[in-house]
Amino acid sequence: MAEIKFVDVGKSFGDNKIIEHMNLTIKDGSFTVLVGPSGCGKTTLLRMIAGIGPASSGQILLDGEDITDKAPGKRGVAMVFQNYAIYPTMTVRENIEFGLKNNHVPKEERSRLISEVALSVGLSELLDRKPSTLSGGQRQRIALARAMVKKPKVFLMDEPLSNLDAKLRVAMRTELIELYKKLQTTFVYVTHDQIEAMSMADDIVLLDHGKIQQEDAPEKIYYDPDNVFTAQFIGTPPMNIFSFGAHENRMGFRSERVTLSYQANKQAFFERKGSIITREMLGSETQYQIKIPEGSLMVKSLNEKFQVGETVYIQLQEEHLYFFDKEGLRIRDKKEIAECNAELEASHEA
Amino acid sequence: MTHDTERRLRRLPSDLIKFAVVLLFLFPFYWMLITSFKTYTEAIRFPPSLWPQHFNMTSYVTLLEKMNVLRYMKNTLIVTLSCIAMEMVVLVPAAYAFAKYEFAGKSLMFSLVLVAFMIPTQVTFITVYIMMARARLLKTLLPQIIPFGANAFGIFLLRQAFMQIPEEIVESARLDNASESKIMLQVMLPMCKSTIVTIALFSFVSHWNNYFWPLVMTNSEAVQPLTIAMDKLKDVEVGIDWPLIMAGNIVLVAPILIVFIFASRKIISAFAYRGIK
Amino acid sequence: MKRKEKQQFVEHRLGERRLSRFIPYLMVAPAMVFLLVFVFYPMLNLLYLSFFEYNLVNPKKKFVGFENFRNILFVKTDFRACFYNTAIYTVSVVILLILFAVMVAVWCKDKGWLNDFATTAFFTPHIIAMISCGMIWAWLMDENAGVLNAVLSFFHLPTLRWLNSSKTAMLSVVIVSVWKSLGYYSLIVLSALEAIPAEIYEAAALDNTPKRREFFKITLPMLSPQLFFLLITITINSFKVFDTIRVMTNGGPGSSTDVISFYIYRYAFIHFRIGIASASGVVLMLVLIILTAVYFKGLSKKVYYQ
Repeated sequence: MAEIKFVDVGKSFGDNKIIEHMNLTIKDGSFTVLVGPSGCGKTTLLRMIAGIGPASSGQILLDGEDITDKAPGKRGVAMVFQNYAIYPTMTVRENIEFGLKNNHVPKEERSRLISEVALSVGLSELLDRKPSTLSGGQRQRIALARAMVKKPKVFLMDEPLSNLDAKLRVAMRTELIELYKKLQTTFVYVTHDQIEAMSMADDIVLLDHGKIQQEDAPEKIYYDPDNVFTAQFIGTPPMNIFSFGAHENRMGFRSERVTLSYQANKQAFFERKGSIITREMLGSETQYQIKIPEGSLMVKSLNEKFQVGETVYIQLQEEHLYFFDKEGLRIRDKKEIAECNAELEASHEA
Repeated sequence: MTHDTERRLRRLPSDLIKFAVVLLFLFPFYWMLITSFKTYTEAIRFPPSLWPQHFNMTSYVTLLEKMNVLRYMKNTLIVTLSCIAMEMVVLVPAAYAFAKYEFAGKSLMFSLVLVAFMIPTQVTFITVYIMMARARLLKTLLPQIIPFGANAFGIFLLRQAFMQIPEEIVESARLDNASESKIMLQVMLPMCKSTIVTIALFSFVSHWNNYFWPLVMTNSEAVQPLTIAMDKLKDVEVGIDWPLIMAGNIVLVAPILIVFIFASRKIISAFAYRGIK
Repeated sequence: MKRKEKQQFVEHRLGERRLSRFIPYLMVAPAMVFLLVFVFYPMLNLLYLSFFEYNLVNPKKKFVGFENFRNILFVKTDFRACFYNTAIYTVSVVILLILFAVMVAVWCKDKGWLNDFATTAFFTPHIIAMISCGMIWAWLMDENAGVLNAVLSFFHLPTLRWLNSSKTAMLSVVIVSVWKSLGYYSLIVLSALEAIPAEIYEAAALDNTPKRREFFKITLPMLSPQLFFLLITITINSFKVFDTIRVMTNGGPGSSTDVISFYIYRYAFIHFRIGIASASGVVLMLVLIILTAVYFKGLSKKVYYQ
């Protein structure tokens, strides 16, 4: 059980400033996912919590205690690495036991803890094997067991699923969520995969260039993005965005909110005539790329009848339109939105 | 005739030639062994006999009783093993620091290591000899051991091995609250076991066979190694006793050959690795 | 945060780091001390001594400037002879070893017990003491009772005087050196051959490449880093040759196999003229440095690196 607080934290490698003036609170007992493109600083944040890549400035608090300069092994945190970082010369048991030994846990206690944790991750039969004889999924479990056995206040995970094949990844995702429900501790999870972030998180922290773009629950992040970056990073395909008008404002909408039709519809709040450039059959739905006067856009539709080259109308309702200003920040003010709408209409008619 | 046997037959002549070449290449070893069992008179008979008339142990008896070969061997063993032990103690922490820590002057010091590797003992021996003479150590085994304390090539090899271990392993161990020395000795070192064995093998071979260094660093019989003993066998004015010399060389090469026969693949791949780097 | 608090916080952090900053130096210290005392100091001292007339019997040094260098390079002829012999030896060994190493490697490339056996056999002399190899071959080359002459006379060929004639002594020494190191160098070429991706040969086969062109246009260029390594290593090792010479010929007959490192040894320990020995050592070092530099400048661009 722990709350992690970054107070004005900065991190630089030489002259290269990765993170500046970061303030962030990771809630006690939450499953927080740090997500963003590579180089955004998400792993750097995680390593600062672990203490293996100390902050250059500022303070990190764990449950109110300053841990900025505490040795990694004394912080009560555990980490699962992307490549698992299993000690290859030790057996599975020795791997799990290593941290306990270093913390001078008595022998009987150790073996009790090991068999307990091995049982819960399904490694009981494999305790005396060498890691090199085990599969990727099993190694992943060793890494988990090694973290769990220490009963840490915080679990840190650095892209733990990225080395697994697609099927196993989905299965492990569910297992990790179950593990989190069972342990009820703080999980901080780093990934570059927005789908993983959406499906696992209580709380998503979206980062870009060392700055927090948005911190919210998955639904909020998806349906109520604060800026263009969030709108386009989260969701596949990314949100359709067009600039318009004299103020270089931008409007956007999600591809699955578009209605396609051969006929024009007077009821539609926003309507454009366009032609279909590509068509991709995805199974349950079909993805079209459509060219309209403002540019090209992606549409996801349950209707697969439209063909390449056909002329169609795209139609949207008012509540599905998002507006952003020149800097890419969301326009939320009712009055400004109305102005945007008017300008959009005017630009179309002209 | 199947395709397979046909192909095998076609290759037979070249295989036979290859086999013959290999045997010819190994002939000097055969000749060393055979000569060591001949009597002096049989050995110098012309043309020579390919097989001794009877296996004569005189040379070996002479080696043991007159030459006191065991004392020389003891010196060789002590020197070789002490060198390996000392090198290991010195090179493991150095290689680890060069691989895993950042510190001012690191690249300068590491390039010193690489340069040292290039400087031949054929030019350093003069000063070292003077140093050892001044320290009055020439009557001990130390001049054959201490100068080899830092094995530059070993440091280089082990550093490469340490560098190949992902940083996450170290970080993981730190998160497991392991002390730095524990990380080095219990986590990292076992992962470099094969490099350690390789370094020890090189070291063993080179110190066991070393001739130049003891030649200049020893002037008392009590501290001379086997190689120097062999040298003395040959330094006679007339009538070189070839069977005795060959027997002596058998004693010198046998330990290495035995190790090689049992671990030839391992040794060969170690040397191949050294060449590729 | 209040300023004072922040100050303390920074100091605390520095203190801890200062302690751990010390540790790497402690770890490399023993190695550095050994290198400085037994490699770098002797190296510098060699340079220093080369400007003195100095012998081990009479410990009084006399500064003579470049006299020692002038002596060995321009006055005395014996050093020049040594230098010439060493160069002949080096060139022969380099050419023969590289040639044979590539041949053996190509010959023993395929998998199979015979090739395994062959590479192991070729390798064996490499781990044997150089002086043993020298003695065995001195015996094989014995003028009166040696096997080589027995074989020659069996085929009714004129026998050779091998180590006892100034015409053949150097050749004999070269043979032994090639025999000793062939296996090691062919092993290096062999592992490089094995590392060449099979796809390249498959592509060449699809392009209908003749075997000869395949060897010269594909195999050799792909081997160039290893051949470059061989060239440098063999050159340096040959310039330092000592054991073989000392055991087989003692520099003779006459001075036909006298080489630089033997010269240094002789002047230091037999003639006790440390100044001359040191000056020769400096010359040897300079030659090695120059050769390496020339190789790197002249050839490294031609070497293909993957």
